[in-house]
Amino acid sequence: MPDELTPQADSEQREAALPPADGGVPAIEPAPADGGVPAIEPILTVPHEPGAPKPDPILEVDGLSRSFGGLLAVDVDHLEVQRGATTALIGPNGAGKTTLFNLLSGFERADTGHWSFNGEAVTNPSADGLARKGMIRTFQLTKSLAKLTVIDNVLLGAPRQRGEKLWAAPFPNRWRSQEEANTERAEALLERFNLAHMRDELAGTLSGGQRKLLEVARALMADPVLIMLDEPMAGVNPALAQSLMHHITQLVYEGLSVVFIEHAMDVVTGISDWVVVLAQGQVIAEGPPWKVIHDDQVIDAYLGRRRAGAAR
Amino acid sequence: MDFSIIFGNAARAAFGPEAVILALAAIGLNVHFGYTGLLNIGQVGFLLLGAYGTSVSVATFGWSLWAGVVVGLLLSVAFAVALGIPTLRLNTVMFAMVTIAAAEIIRILIGSTDAIGLTGGPLSVSFDAGAFYDLNPYPDGPHDRYGIGTFEFTGQQLWVITVGWLLVALVTAGVVMLVRSPWGRVLKSIREDQDAARSLGKNVFSYKMQALVIGGAIGGMGGVIDAIKTSGADPNGFRPQVTFFAYTALLLGGSATYLGPVLGAVLFWFLREWIESFLRQIVEEAWLPDVVAEFFDGAEGVISVAMVGVALILLMLLRPQGIVGNRTEMQLDAR
Repeated sequence: MPDELTPQADSEQREAALPPADGGVPAIEPAPADGGVPAIEPILTVPHEPGAPKPDPILEVDGLSRSFGGLLAVDVDHLEVQRGATTALIGPNGAGKTTLFNLLSGFERADTGHWSFNGEAVTNPSADGLARKGMIRTFQLTKSLAKLTVIDNVLLGAPRQRGEKLWAAPFPNRWRSQEEANTERAEALLERFNLAHMRDELAGTLSGGQRKLLEVARALMADPVLIMLDEPMAGVNPALAQSLMHHITQLVYEGLSVVFIEHAMDVVTGISDWVVVLAQGQVIAEGPPWKVIHDDQVIDAYLGRRRAGAAR
Repeated sequence: MDFSIIFGNAARAAFGPEAVILALAAIGLNVHFGYTGLLNIGQVGFLLLGAYGTSVSVATFGWSLWAGVVVGLLLSVAFAVALGIPTLRLNTVMFAMVTIAAAEIIRILIGSTDAIGLTGGPLSVSFDAGAFYDLNPYPDGPHDRYGIGTFEFTGQQLWVITVGWLLVALVTAGVVMLVRSPWGRVLKSIREDQDAARSLGKNVFSYKMQALVIGGAIGGMGGVIDAIKTSGADPNGFRPQVTFFAYTALLLGGSATYLGPVLGAVLFWFLREWIESFLRQIVEEAWLPDVVAEFFDGAEGVISVAMVGVALILLMLLRPQGIVGNRTEMQLDAR
């Protein structure tokens, strides 16, 4: 993988956000697909219980709730997400996973509760404001910008663009150098996600799986500190899914924190360091994947006894 | 039947001041709708404020014409801001309804009898646009004519359309420069999916507001040209169909293209005038049975507008992307 894709030169101010050099991200092989080994050392010390405190949380959530009519969609008492780790958020349909994402990323208003991101309390959450602070999310139904080219889709992700200011926009000399640097990065990302050959095609012509990849590439372009992927593998063919999984593991090595929602258990066990299980809006279990998938409560709520028995 | 008259009339309309005004209205809409996806169906409100801002400043307050032009443009900008603050967070349909309502409210207020002292109310307001015509470089004697056959303008008219088309060219160039920048990329991303833009840290409200103000000010320029051309303003000239004509022009030419709104405005007036002249000649030459001729007589203008509608329908069937639009882009809508 090309080195220039590691966190960018123009993100010095985020350096504090990156994991400490002293072992935050150990350079070990990816966790094997059978989910045996937790990849992150610090997380080894965390108790396997809902709301467990983490040694270095990037996200801390307290008393977060949101109801729709009479339905309490999210009711999270306490949740911490470890920095520099891959955290899977699983749960049966309707458990409130996407709603939790929406609340945390500012796309929906919480009824109660507060949270902090990257050590900073989130007051008055706005989707774009949180994104500018480095919390970048993707969507379950991909939001590729159909009538923009693939490269423009990715370029849109670049943060702090001078050319996005109205008064600078008509004068290319004010933003051309930055645009060129961004284009170089964007092309490298396309290369990495096997989309380089589609560079100048309209994004609307991509296949569903390619759009998923494009969305992840675009999210990475935004220099995220925390990337939140909503079902990144849904609708992606197995070969692409495999490469996407590889990319996600790679992200964590590069110092990012990843939270993802996923239904496919092989993906969860394959790439996550930690699993949070949501059911009826509440965190019912937390732990490393190998532990969580054998948890009785989780099996009851999510996997179903028969299937879990078969998996064993 | 003299086709040279018909084509002369049509060309005269296609390059005349009306086409300039329509082109400016359509360029503004292109910024709103074509690039940002804002379904503004109250564009005429911006034209009205441009025209009345100019007229009233000069006629009622006795300010200079140039001050009036500035007032007209400032009013359309103010309208954009006032309209945008409460409505830009609404969904597309709600936003559309509010824009048409707002434009109608202004027109009715300005045209009410209570406003006679200020705006002339239902009577039109008129003023002396001499300051503009003083700059006219074309000799403008009573017998000076420019053009061939029915395609001819007086010196004053030629001056208006010279300035008008120069303005159209400048505005088009300005829009091109803006839209080709990363700023324009954000606008298009908002049109495609505003949540995606938001998730990448773009302040969608702020960009929509910028687009609304810019497109509105361009519409306001159309209003200013209208006021100067007629040396006044009339509330009846700012009915909602002006907006619909501007949309017709935009779609004819090609939405979200650089030249689409301009070509569309030219074509719109060409077709409209061509059909009207054609019908008039048919009636005059008594080609038709009396019953039919009686029906057409005096209704040529209305029928020609209807025929432009038919042309638009045909265009949507045969070339949905407009004259200069991109077909591939258009087809993505169906996916």
